[in-house]
Amino acid sequence: MTGDQPEDRFREFVIPHLKDALAFARWLTGNRDDAEDVVQEACLKAYAAIGRGAILRPRPWLLAIVRNAAFTWMAKNRPKWLLTPGDEMDRLAETGEAASSDMPAQTPEAELIRKADAAAVRDAVTALPVQLREVLILREFNDLSYREIADVLAIPIGTVMSRLSRARLLLAASIAEDHHG
Amino acid sequence: MAEARPLPEADLLLLNALADGELDAPTAAALERRMADEPILRKNYDAIVATREALGRLERPEIDADFLGRIESAVGVSGRGTASVRRTSSRWRADWRALAASVLVAIFAAGSGGYWLGTNIVSQDVADLVASSHRRSLLAASPVDIASSSRHTVKPWLDSRIGVSPPAPDLAAKGFVLVGGRVDVIRGHAVPTLVYRHNEHLITMVAEPAGAEMSKPADREADGYNMVNWRGNGFDYWAISDLERPELDDFVARYIAASETGKK
Repeated sequence: MTGDQPEDRFREFVIPHLKDALAFARWLTGNRDDAEDVVQEACLKAYAAIGRGAILRPRPWLLAIVRNAAFTWMAKNRPKWLLTPGDEMDRLAETGEAASSDMPAQTPEAELIRKADAAAVRDAVTALPVQLREVLILREFNDLSYREIADVLAIPIGTVMSRLSRARLLLAASIAEDHHG
Repeated sequence: MAEARPLPEADLLLLNALADGELDAPTAAALERRMADEPILRKNYDAIVATREALGRLERPEIDADFLGRIESAVGVSGRGTASVRRTSSRWRADWRALAASVLVAIFAAGSGGYWLGTNIVSQDVADLVASSHRRSLLAASPVDIASSSRHTVKPWLDSRIGVSPPAPDLAAKGFVLVGGRVDVIRGHAVPTLVYRHNEHLITMVAEPAGAEMSKPADREADGYNMVNWRGNGFDYWAISDLERPELDDFVARYIAASETGKK
């Protein structure tokens, strides 16, 4: 069971979730090397914070730390990271969260999406604006519930839902388009 | 190619929630009945499921012994054996110091409202909470839990308490002295807070972890205090003070500028 030593607590609360942490960082940063650096930094922060108090839900707790570490690390080492394609950023800003005018008007046929190869899907994920991508990752790669995603990102559940929906729409359109062309 | 109009967003969100197993049984059953009658609902649902399946086929990174060893070595917990550490620890120490100098990427998307659940109401709440936290801190024996003018002290302290910390640039030369930091609780979340001093006035700066979007500083007012709210670097920032508006705006501009150029 839980020891009192930070080392024991680190083994209990952090190590079991390293795979989740790495998956989140991998898709957030776009590559494995950056992700490893980010997770290492997050682990140092987690270790420093682990000494006190009960950690009721260690996985969302750790993922929130990973996210903070990713933003800090990427801003320092990959200054262009947040610069998602310019017009995409502008559109997001102009239209706000709920707007659907900039979203694909037609949902592609499921069959078309199924035919897509892994590289196309991977590229489509990477091309998503980071604020949509992070919600999608936590849902699809970390298997978090809406409530847990809202906690990790400190946003309302309604925002989680609308971002997830938009992320999937963009993804589906981009995968299907790729398959066409 | 039959339908031209997109599905209403409310329906889309319901379909997503169904695919994610987030609906209660009666709601799910009702939606499935509607899907049987409305092909466009079915089509959108199938696309969501197919998209999830496509993502499910992507690789998940595995934790190998090398990486585990690297983490254990960096953190200083004794590893199981001597797994090799690929990167030197001196490089890591440099990274740690540079943590204090994180960069705010210099783009600002014009902020706009329109959250699905009405951000304005939520934001108003936060503004009031920040204001009462500021007021409380002025009455307390000390406005900070960690008193230090060094960002190299304040940031690690915040990290050690709650695992997150905003940039804490040294603005003393500009007339804004870092007094220290504390942890506030806003809407049930522990959030890092920095305190700066300008002449005899304190500036409380709450940095609530937030989404990746950015917004320009917006002047606000709460509880009689001047306040500025902006987003960037993964934080929702709230600066509040009894300073005059131009001085507070000046502080915010210098904070943002210093955070941006923190990378040396």
